[in-house]
Amino acid sequence: MKFVAFVALALGLLAVESVLAQALGLEITRLEATVALVIFIAVRGTVLEGAFTAFGVGYLLDVFTGRPTGLYPFLAMVNFVGAKLASQIMDGRSLLGFSAFVAVGTTVQALLALFFTWLTSRTLVGHSFSLRGLPLLIVFSVVVGALLYPWLKRLEPGEVRADPRALKV
Amino acid sequence: MWPLLQRFKEPLIVATLLIWPLISFLSSGHRGREPNMVDRALLWLASPIQGSLTWLVQTSSAGVTGYVALRGAHEEAGECRVELAQTQAELNAIREAKAENERLKAALGYVEGTVDQEIVARVVGLNPAAQFQSVRLNRGEEDGVRVGMPVTTPNGVLGQVVRSVGHSSDVMLLTDPASRIGAVLQRTRVRATVMGTGNPKRLDVDYVRLEDDVVEGDALVTSGTDGIFPPGLLVGRIDSVSRPQVGMFLHASLVPAVDLQRVEEVLIIPVTLALGGGP
Repeated sequence: MKFVAFVALALGLLAVESVLAQALGLEITRLEATVALVIFIAVRGTVLEGAFTAFGVGYLLDVFTGRPTGLYPFLAMVNFVGAKLASQIMDGRSLLGFSAFVAVGTTVQALLALFFTWLTSRTLVGHSFSLRGLPLLIVFSVVVGALLYPWLKRLEPGEVRADPRALKV
Repeated sequence: MWPLLQRFKEPLIVATLLIWPLISFLSSGHRGREPNMVDRALLWLASPIQGSLTWLVQTSSAGVTGYVALRGAHEEAGECRVELAQTQAELNAIREAKAENERLKAALGYVEGTVDQEIVARVVGLNPAAQFQSVRLNRGEEDGVRVGMPVTTPNGVLGQVVRSVGHSSDVMLLTDPASRIGAVLQRTRVRATVMGTGNPKRLDVDYVRLEDDVVEGDALVTSGTDGIFPPGLLVGRIDSVSRPQVGMFLHASLVPAVDLQRVEEVLIIPVTLALGGGP
């Protein structure tokens, strides 16, 4: 159920994102919302529902690029695994922690996308131009993530989970 | 074996979902795969959303700018009348030149290629990954759009169709790092290759010899030698030229003729036009 809800949300967000990027005349940056979805499900979901959802969201982004190669499902899974592991030692459930995870996830995705594209196309100079928009991309991602956060929490099931820090006390 | 698989079910599924797309990416490289059933279904769902949102944004924007434009419209109308008169005079001269051109072609026995109707499309979205420079159009396979067709605007070349499904298609812009176009300098007829840089405001010009006559402000038009773009479409203007001490070729950069990020309506040229023509 959560998989369907997140993938449908990602589809809507990507459609809005692409129209807004065009309307606002964004050149070297974008309004990235998919990283926030992947991080949220990694931090708050179970392993299996999170993995399938992250893959689905990455697949959608891949399709929206116009040249689907499999790169973005892979990067979404990297972010998912990274966030899942990091959430074992850091709090990613609060708004502040979630925003920090989104910032790191966006950076990792952008840098790995550049690296893997260079690996196959060998045109680093052209693709590296997108890195100039990285600081703004991170800011946009964090803002979009913070705006989505209360809405995403509504997709959570009713049960209240224990704060992982509380277990240590 | 089965209990072992059951025990490590979660890590195995996560590892599969991680490795499968990586293998797919490394095997297909940067070219991308053909759209499958799932891709088509997703694009079919997304297209109406993008189309409606674009219409909403453009209508709202037109309403606001229309009101603002009313102020000072009288002065602008006067200026436009003067410009129209000048353009009319230029148009007459062009018609004369065209008529002469046709007479000369007829005298030489030149045969025109098949000119199909160009497809008019609207840009409904920008690629959400900044790394690839592409836009989405509201015309696709069912409207006669095919992969490889060149896309232009009245101001110049925009790019090339890289995917076409249903009623939407994706166009790789000239500025995409993977884009290459055969071009010729309008003034000196020197051949060149125009390459995308990833920068929406700049293109690189390559394979122009050091001794060739190239200066800032020179216009580059498509040469037609790439078999994709018909000849004579404006690509951009040279904005800097440098001649290194070593090597065979000079370095030049080009400003695209079209503001690629803000274009709204485009013309898709059917392949027969691009590949046809020529004496």
